[in-house]
Amino acid sequence: MDKTININIAGTLFQIDDEAYRILRDYLQAINNRFKNVQGGHETIDDIEYRIAEIFQSQKGLAGAISKENVEAMITIIGKPGDFDHYEQETSAPTYATQRKRMYRNPDDSIISGVCGGIGAYLNSDPVLFRILFVISAFFGIGFFVYIALWIALPAANSDPKRRDMYGDAYNSVRSQTLQADGTYTTSYQTTSKLGNAFNEIFRAIGKVFYVIFRIFLIIIGISFVLIGFLTILSFVMVFLFKFPGVFSHDGINVHLSYYTDFLSYIVNPSSAPWIIALTLIAIFLPMLALIYWGVKMIFWFKARDGIFSLTGLVLWVLSLSALAIILFNEGISFAETGRTSSQNILTSTPDTIFIITDHKASDQKYDKEFSLPDEDYSLYMSDSTRQLFMPARLCLNIAEQSQVKLEIQKSSCGRTRSDAVKKAELIIYNSRISNDTIFLDDFFTLPAGSKWRADFLTVNLFVPANTVLYFDRQSRNLFHNEINIGKFKDNEEVSSKYDEDTQPWDLADKFWVISENGLKESEKTSLKPK
Amino acid sequence: MDLENTKAQMRKGILEYCILSVLSRSSCYASDIIKELKEAEVIVVEGTLYPLLTRQKNAGLLSYRWEESQQGPPRKYYELTDAGRTYLTDLDKSWKELVDSVNLIRTR
Repeated sequence: MDKTININIAGTLFQIDDEAYRILRDYLQAINNRFKNVQGGHETIDDIEYRIAEIFQSQKGLAGAISKENVEAMITIIGKPGDFDHYEQETSAPTYATQRKRMYRNPDDSIISGVCGGIGAYLNSDPVLFRILFVISAFFGIGFFVYIALWIALPAANSDPKRRDMYGDAYNSVRSQTLQADGTYTTSYQTTSKLGNAFNEIFRAIGKVFYVIFRIFLIIIGISFVLIGFLTILSFVMVFLFKFPGVFSHDGINVHLSYYTDFLSYIVNPSSAPWIIALTLIAIFLPMLALIYWGVKMIFWFKARDGIFSLTGLVLWVLSLSALAIILFNEGISFAETGRTSSQNILTSTPDTIFIITDHKASDQKYDKEFSLPDEDYSLYMSDSTRQLFMPARLCLNIAEQSQVKLEIQKSSCGRTRSDAVKKAELIIYNSRISNDTIFLDDFFTLPAGSKWRADFLTVNLFVPANTVLYFDRQSRNLFHNEINIGKFKDNEEVSSKYDEDTQPWDLADKFWVISENGLKESEKTSLKPK
Repeated sequence: MDLENTKAQMRKGILEYCILSVLSRSSCYASDIIKELKEAEVIVVEGTLYPLLTRQKNAGLLSYRWEESQQGPPRKYYELTDAGRTYLTDLDKSWKELVDSVNLIRTR
């Protein structure tokens, strides 16, 4: 009698003699070749193996070795693969060609996320090697980031077709099914590690520490994302919806951010103002909402099918930005060119002392909102009932060569074309009058009701001979924008312009001043009487 | 013309129908189905049946559960699903139509 071999067919142990074994092996190989590339083929192979075990058992019981005759009888019952009729639909059969493998994360063989298990399965080598490699390179920082990148990039092999792709030819050898008490089968996948479990226990411990650090890191980032997003949205809502500027008004200069939206309706086409506001809000809120969402995702570490959702958000954001850009460009053209007009008034007499009196004041006008342009030192007063804007006029003092006193009013505005801008500038309304030695000036100018703001400026240039005495009343400091500039003219051209460091606009009130190239000096003449 | 080949072709068309018919009477093991089909001489070797069962199961016509056997490995115990029943009703109808058509031609 030949030597016998112990084999395991479908979970049952059999003794089989050598010759019978070789026939059986060839037969199983033929069956395997016949079905391995067929849809559901692996299940069919399993079914046939169960049947073979059943037949052997009915022939022999559990005692005695299986002989060549037993195997041949079994083959007659089941039939050779060539005798099976072909029922498979050729087209629908996906083929698992040899060596066609893909890299996955392997959740069945994982310490942290299965990246190393997946690499091991893909390269048909021991995952422990890659774990050692990653732990060592993590100390240099590179390994950490490569690991995270792979974690994100590699899909998890969490279904049978994916596992088959991952293990390739090794699939059947790592897969083992165990029968449970309730008659169902659980499938498990052996680790491809050969260095054993002791190593893996060490890595499991390192992995846990790594994971905790990583989670804390993520939670901190997540919390800051949520806070940034939430605070940004909150502050926008407070400022623009509830008109509560709070922290955004800074040291004294009250930049009335809240009124940006109201001011907008004085600049652009009234119909496009709400659009600009809505689009701006979308452009700001969408990324903030995304930030909050990402933050929450990082904190609570959940997965969601949000691909479509995110894509829609991104598309919406890009669209709103583009629409905003188009509208703003269209409105911005109205500021393309600057135009100026000026008118002159020469005083008939040349008095020693000139009185500058503020006539009408912007603060006396009926207005609803005050709005400061941050850079321009320029406050606007809006009257919502008459749709009128009041803006501050500016007074510049100049020393002229001639002995006459000259008042020049210069208006500037913007428009699509130069002539458009000049026409706009001509529309600026400003009151001033001269009576003997007294000049009455309004501290503001305005535009016809309903006109739009086109970066309008108005400057009053007062030309006087050097050493003229000037008197300013209490409100006239509003005509200077925080500083006093003295220009010097020769042949109608400015030769120098000097900032008076010693005198501030608020010093001027109700006093007499002597003007010179170097600035204003308080007059010593006490005989002069204020008006 | 090869008679055996033609017979095999004919069997091929009706084998799926026969499996469903056997299971429509009662749920049973693969070996029971094989026994019936062999008696009816619809199949020659058992190996033909297994891929068909897998296919019908994957198509949702059949379902199975594992049953312990007194001796030997556990066995799959097959039964028809609702979809399988509907499918079988349709097959019954087309079988009758087919037989009628063949008879009509033969008796003309």
